[in-house]
Amino acid sequence: MTNLDTVGLHEFMQRRKTLFCYSGPLTEELLTTISNPVRHQLTENETPEAIANRVFGVFIEQAQNIIRYSSQKTRAAGDSVGTIAISYIDDTFLIEAVNQISSTQKSALEKTLLELSLKDQKDLRKLYRQRLKDGPPEDSKGAGLGFIEMARRVKRFEFDFNDSEDNPMFVYRGWVE
Amino acid sequence: MRFEKTQRTPLVEMSNSHCLIVGECYPENISEWSQPVLAALEDCVGTQDSFDVDIELYYFNSSSAKFLFDFFEFLDDKADEGVSIVVNWRYRAEDDTMQEAGEDFEEDIENCTYNLVEAEPADA
Repeated sequence: MTNLDTVGLHEFMQRRKTLFCYSGPLTEELLTTISNPVRHQLTENETPEAIANRVFGVFIEQAQNIIRYSSQKTRAAGDSVGTIAISYIDDTFLIEAVNQISSTQKSALEKTLLELSLKDQKDLRKLYRQRLKDGPPEDSKGAGLGFIEMARRVKRFEFDFNDSEDNPMFVYRGWVE
Repeated sequence: MRFEKTQRTPLVEMSNSHCLIVGECYPENISEWSQPVLAALEDCVGTQDSFDVDIELYYFNSSSAKFLFDFFEFLDDKADEGVSIVVNWRYRAEDDTMQEAGEDFEEDIENCTYNLVEAEPADA
């Protein structure tokens, strides 16, 4: 067990100022359970309610993306596996999510997020309303609004695909301040 | 009719003349939660000449936005048919997210009277 560096894990989380992290199978039931401590953590730093709501909003969308789209499933229940974390660094919240996706999902996701990253708040707002009217795109299990919603709530976001294995890992980071 | 508040769904109270929605909305399964609410709305609106709606949400997720859109679309159609409908979208002071959301829905409403109302701050 020596290579399982438990103290190192603790120190790593402390050092990167991660106030909440979950890694493993994620379900809507579990999301209900972890929502409360997440909310609680967000009020710890006397965060203004509007900011806390924005962080919480991005967190919920990221969690539901993992639940809906992660291609890594548990063997028995088929639950989606992913990692989600909230950190608080220099008065800025960082909300991160990582999950495996299929290579077919990758190109559509990349295109969507590239387009969103080029839009300003006014355009994002317009796009959100348009998408509400038009309904979800065919490949969406939600309303197709999640990434637009997140882009509206964050100061900036980054995304990445870690292609080291057959199935790419999708990484999304959003900063709220 | 009353739909009790849960951790992830708001309180909904519905009568023939009034609908009240208060709380947070990010249900585990949006259609499972919203279908009975929309069905109740269909039963209530139009039984009298007028219908008032008070909505005060503190957070809703993107899946719930579609429910709210359908909710307002139904009300606007009913108002077009002649029911006098007033919608009060309440948001807490400084909650710009919910204020913007209220403004977004307002843009698609043509036939209801729609008011954006700044509500008391948190825990009031």
